[in-house]
Amino acid sequence: MNGNQLIGLAPIITLSTASIAVMLGIAIKRNFVLTCSITAFGIIISLLAVAVACQESPIQATLLIRMDNYALFFMALLLLASLAVLGFCYDYFKNFEGDNEELLLLLLTALLGAFVLVSSSHFASFFLGLETLSISLFALISYPLNQTRPLEAAIKYLILSGVSSAFLLMGMALIYAQSGELYFKDIGNFIANQPGMNIMMLSGVILIVAGLGFKLSLAPFHLWTPDVYQGAPAPITAFIATVSKGAVFVVLLRYFVSSHNYVYTPLVTVFSVIAVLSILGGNLLALLQNNVKRLLAYSSIAHIGYLLAAFIAAASIAPSLAIESVTFYLLAYFITTIGAFGVVSLLSTPETEADDISSYRGLFWRRPWLAAVFTLMLLSLAGIPLTAGFIGKFYIFTSAADSRLWGLLFAIIIGSGLGLYYYLRIIVVMSMSGEATVIKSVNPDKDRISKATLAVLTILLVWFGIYPGFLINVIQSVSLSLG
Amino acid sequence: MIELLGWVPLFPFLGFLILVFAGERLSKPIIPWVGAGSVGISALLTALIGAEFLRGTMEPYRMFSGYWMALDDMSVPFGFYLDALSMTMLFVVSGVGFLIHVYSAGFMESDPGYARFFAYMNLFVSAMLVLVLADNLVLLYLGWEGVGLGSYLLIGFWYEDPDNGHAARKAFVMTRIGDTSMALGLFLLFTHLHTFDIQFLMIRAGNEWTPGTWLPVVSAALLLGGALGKSAQLPLQTWLPDAMAGPTPVSALIHAATMVTAGVYLIARTHDLFLLAPSVQFAVGIIGAITLLIAGFSALAQTDIKRILAYSTISQIGYMFLALGVGAWSAAIFHLLTHAFFKALLFLAAGAVIFCFHHEHNIFKMGGLRKPMPLTFWSFMIGCAALSALPFTSGFYSKHEILLAAFEVSPVLWAAGCLGALITGIYSFRLVFVVFFGTQSQSVEKGIGWRMAAPLVLLGILALFGGLLQIPMDSVFPGSANTDTDHAFNLVSALTIAAPFAGLLIAVLFYLSGTFSAQRLANYGWARLVRQFFLSGCGFDAIYANLLVRPFVSIAKLNKNDVVDLLYLGIAWLSREFHRIARTSQTGRVRWYASSMALGAVFILAIGLLS
Repeated sequence: MNGNQLIGLAPIITLSTASIAVMLGIAIKRNFVLTCSITAFGIIISLLAVAVACQESPIQATLLIRMDNYALFFMALLLLASLAVLGFCYDYFKNFEGDNEELLLLLLTALLGAFVLVSSSHFASFFLGLETLSISLFALISYPLNQTRPLEAAIKYLILSGVSSAFLLMGMALIYAQSGELYFKDIGNFIANQPGMNIMMLSGVILIVAGLGFKLSLAPFHLWTPDVYQGAPAPITAFIATVSKGAVFVVLLRYFVSSHNYVYTPLVTVFSVIAVLSILGGNLLALLQNNVKRLLAYSSIAHIGYLLAAFIAAASIAPSLAIESVTFYLLAYFITTIGAFGVVSLLSTPETEADDISSYRGLFWRRPWLAAVFTLMLLSLAGIPLTAGFIGKFYIFTSAADSRLWGLLFAIIIGSGLGLYYYLRIIVVMSMSGEATVIKSVNPDKDRISKATLAVLTILLVWFGIYPGFLINVIQSVSLSLG
Repeated sequence: MIELLGWVPLFPFLGFLILVFAGERLSKPIIPWVGAGSVGISALLTALIGAEFLRGTMEPYRMFSGYWMALDDMSVPFGFYLDALSMTMLFVVSGVGFLIHVYSAGFMESDPGYARFFAYMNLFVSAMLVLVLADNLVLLYLGWEGVGLGSYLLIGFWYEDPDNGHAARKAFVMTRIGDTSMALGLFLLFTHLHTFDIQFLMIRAGNEWTPGTWLPVVSAALLLGGALGKSAQLPLQTWLPDAMAGPTPVSALIHAATMVTAGVYLIARTHDLFLLAPSVQFAVGIIGAITLLIAGFSALAQTDIKRILAYSTISQIGYMFLALGVGAWSAAIFHLLTHAFFKALLFLAAGAVIFCFHHEHNIFKMGGLRKPMPLTFWSFMIGCAALSALPFTSGFYSKHEILLAAFEVSPVLWAAGCLGALITGIYSFRLVFVVFFGTQSQSVEKGIGWRMAAPLVLLGILALFGGLLQIPMDSVFPGSANTDTDHAFNLVSALTIAAPFAGLLIAVLFYLSGTFSAQRLANYGWARLVRQFFLSGCGFDAIYANLLVRPFVSIAKLNKNDVVDLLYLGIAWLSREFHRIARTSQTGRVRWYASSMALGAVFILAIGLLS
């Protein structure tokens, strides 16, 4: 390993250092505010490290890690998302009885796993990153230990995650057994040099898809999603929905782009079936849902389905547009999902989660700004113009139409129509008069950090919705580095 | 001064904004200062601009203040165009408008919706000013719809009474029919001539289209449709009598002096297009002649003081259309000007009668008001004299010009006009004699303040001497110099002058001296039927109800259960059912979740390997 590679790895190294610093800080003095500050500081330093690493990219640091602009872009995005989640965590846990400091350590280690995932170019780093992320998540979900729901959610996630890892490892083993390679590029070479279809290879890839499908909560591996989303503390749910899923999607994209697995045409059918099932299933399940966290969980199933549609498009048209679509959609999804769960977390405490729809009744009259932000987030999820969600959905439509995926496009249209119903339903409930059944007793003047975060997210949402040009340019340039 | 043109419509709009957003919080004495003051500033600006304009060469002045929308090959600027025609309209709208605003300050004072009233009035004036100043048809259309909105809001101003709301809706829907036609005309003009600018349009139409071909005919006919709706001409005239449901100053301003003349303005503004379509232009004249007769007869039978004036308005606009139809453009605009003076005067005087006399509208319950209300009486006298075009009043000059021009084109049209003049004389003086002469049945409730008196005096002067105010239109209209031909004392001219006197005489015999009695006449069966026919405005409402409304309602009844909606309800039901089915998979049990993952893996493996 030479100096350049060290510079290239700077973000990962900095983040690991930050984790250790947080651990030491907790050991020396337990103080939630202090620990939060160290964590935030570590994240900001890591952002600087990402900027530094840009100079050396693309660089292959050992076989395991490939630091290119695409990875760095997502590292920056994950860092910013974590910063937002950190803000919500602070307000959510600051009054919670118990030792809250380790939460931040877990947040950083989960982020480390996500970092490894988005930059991995090898099955070993792939699996290591995924497990680092997952194990941190189990602990994060069950962090309010004295509550039953988080514990239940964590146990479910732990067991099912184990099942999915088994599929994943089995898939990797099949591929290794056939090709003798673990490095993505070499697998690609092996596939390229072998005429015809290798059934074992194909089965291996499908098993990997099954494993990743669980993490991405794609149908038919989605059943855990609502239970875990509901059980986890609201800021952590935001973390699972964005950082974890985003990183896994990026690794899926990386694997497929570098390993030429697209030559196996049955995979397109598999993905299409999964996408249609996710879009229709997610939206139908969300339709009459009265629990906002479960509703957002089902809607996230559908959203990853939309993403998958653009991903499929990459197989048939020039992948650059599809990758661009996926990237923009992921970014819009990050902003919107964090914003939506941010509102939920602002209204919740670890003891009483504001997840029933009746808690939102009349929110417009009690806290108009918060309700307006939530409305904007929901409209963006529904893909209404002037929000980033609209541009994202427009991208998906364009890619799907360009690749003539008419069946998928039809499913997307149906799904969007169904989506509108349940998103608007929350907005209607918010504007109804009357008192909510559960109201957070905390003084609404507090929670400044969460509010500031929400304000920034809202501005970004509308900005990218009206002037997406700048962001599109950035995404186009980073998309080129992949592939 | 002239570069301040853009402020003329802006001030009333600012007034509207202030009154809308702060109206409820303003103290009552301030409201009329905002409402009438904003229009007053516009009137003052108009006067200054007008002085400069008329002293100068009267060259058209163009003002550009940015683009409203600019697309590939279509651009719509906020552009104003001032020539002798729009100058005249500007005087009418801001000048008469201001006087009526001052009057309203007194008339509406005890109304709880004082601020709301002035807000609507200001919105209307602003839109009307945009309409007359616009240099392109789209901006003109903005003003056109703006005055439609203002009219709707003001007719239904006393919205607690459902009848008023009904009248407002009727006006809106009827004019909407015309507006649709006009919008289609706009589209047609744009698709073929590629510009919205009125002046360019006229030039290009003249260059590219041969007279009498289908393009100019159709587009002129479509624009005419818009003009018919707004100006309450046959067959879209039925809304105007009902529009009297609004407060009386509204009737004076919108439904007499300004908005209803917008159709006349539109045709005058696009007269080049109508010259290219001689058949349509002739139709304008025919429609005008028929309308003026029908409305005149209807006015004869009315008993509601405001409805009489409303029908007379339709009739007088009929004269303007007649003038347009025979190519007497400047005579039409001249009559528009004088009509604005005397009709506003008449409405305001009628408002004073209503105001002082227990809000009574039926003229046969009045009588003998000459003594207790001298100012109102003289206002009425002057107004009716001008309305029936007695010599040396303003109405005489303009109507005389129209009728002489009509004779040159078609003696039939002239004869219709003369008959109309006779009828005008009858109904005008019937009104005066019944209301102001005879015995007084009830005492007058209250007097009028200076804010109502001053506009009456000023408008009275204008109605008398406004005939001297004619702005030369030679720079706008071609060959409008036919007024200087000397037909001072031929038979036609004499008959034209005599017609209103004959009407006056008939009115005297029936309603003043009592030589004949309309009551006795009405005892005959056929006369009662005729009277009923005229009272209902020649039965147009009944025709439309039977021909259009009833069939539509019965079709709507057939579709009472929204047949089309069943499809969407079905989709919604289906979605809910699918939701119920899908929901059963969420059991919350880990063993089911884990096995579903295994099943899922098998499922996608099967798809992958079998496809």
